Amino acid sequence: MLSRAAWSLVLRRGGLGTRGKHSLEGTAPSERKMPPYTNYYAQRSYPMPDEPFCTELNAEQRALKEKEKGSWTQLSHAEKVALYRLQFHETFAEMNRRSNEWKTVMGCVFFFFGFTALLIWWQRVYMFPEKPITLTDEWRAQQLQRTLDMKANPVQGLASHWDYEKQQWKK
Amino acid sequence: MAYPTQMGFQDAASPIMEELLYFHDHTLMIVFMISSLVLYTISLMLTTSLTHTNTMNAQEVETVWTILPAIILILIALPSLRILYMMDEINNPSLTIKTMGHQWYWTYEYTDYENMTFDSYMTSTNDLTPGELRLLEVDNRMILPTELPIRVLVSSEDVLHSWTVPSLGLKTDAIPGRLNQTTLMASRPGLYYGQCSEICGANHSFMPIVLELIPLKYFEKWLLTML
Repeated sequence: MLSRAAWSLVLRRGGLGTRGKHSLEGTAPSERKMPPYTNYYAQRSYPMPDEPFCTELNAEQRALKEKEKGSWTQLSHAEKVALYRLQFHETFAEMNRRSNEWKTVMGCVFFFFGFTALLIWWQRVYMFPEKPITLTDEWRAQQLQRTLDMKANPVQGLASHWDYEKQQWKK
Repeated sequence: MAYPTQMGFQDAASPIMEELLYFHDHTLMIVFMISSLVLYTISLMLTTSLTHTNTMNAQEVETVWTILPAIILILIALPSLRILYMMDEINNPSLTIKTMGHQWYWTYEYTDYENMTFDSYMTSTNDLTPGELRLLEVDNRMILPTELPIRVLVSSEDVLHSWTVPSLGLKTDAIPGRLNQTTLMASRPGLYYGQCSEICGANHSFMPIVLELIPLKYFEKWLLTML
């Protein structure tokens, strides 16, 4: 957003690396650019650019711009809309419209989650070694008993949650 | 020793570790407050449709958010320095023990009166008796008396190691050619586990430290059996 505003300033000056024009007619014709590379850049934080959207007007549009110099109450609704479209590329509603990009993004995210899950599953089946004996339920129960017997962390940790008189976990 | 689903530090077994736990609570509270403030500010920034493009300066808020962090840092530094100096207080140790790190075991030397030295190797998983802790048990534990200040001199015979017992708040590097001193004062008896904390080769993860803290009269009895 900020880079586009800066880029529009660059373009307004004629871009980087342009040399001074020596033409006697001025620089406007030689700066003619093909759409969409015009000098018009609007975004939500910079909604009213200096340059109008349409700079090359046909005869009818030129006549309309002349009529605009008079009283605006004499412009019809269609003429006002036409003048708006000459000055601006999109309305605010069009500029701020939502898109469906998020669905594509979330789809790719979930796809890669699944792919990673497949990789991890393959790893577990074909690459991981045997689990040590200390991870069996029986060993873990004996380990817990030993930890409670030695009263490890009796202040706020594991042994503090064990009721030694009733031989059960504290409620 | 650590237990499953543990979220914080192990319970303190020495006064210094209690102080460290209080300090950690204090500092973590400050960290949580700052983090939640930043998170709230970011969420405000991300959920607004308003734009503002022409702020030039903001002297008042800039002053506040320079002075306030300085004050917060001082509030963290003062307790920190207090504990740092507390660790270095003179405490008249009753016992001096030398701990030498090797690749990949520890040697404990009780040489105040007689020359008593023994090695402490990790018990391998195949040799464990049921219920013992994998990668934490050793064949000969370091046996010490409770409630007495003990001077521990830590050094190494080969590469860098680090002698660590988290529940006592101890971590001292074992540097070859250098004697590092730390003070140990356990408030309650029990078994306290730690692991080597400086990378020292292939079996760096397999040279644990186990302290067995027992009342003084049992310690004296044990000494007599060792000599």
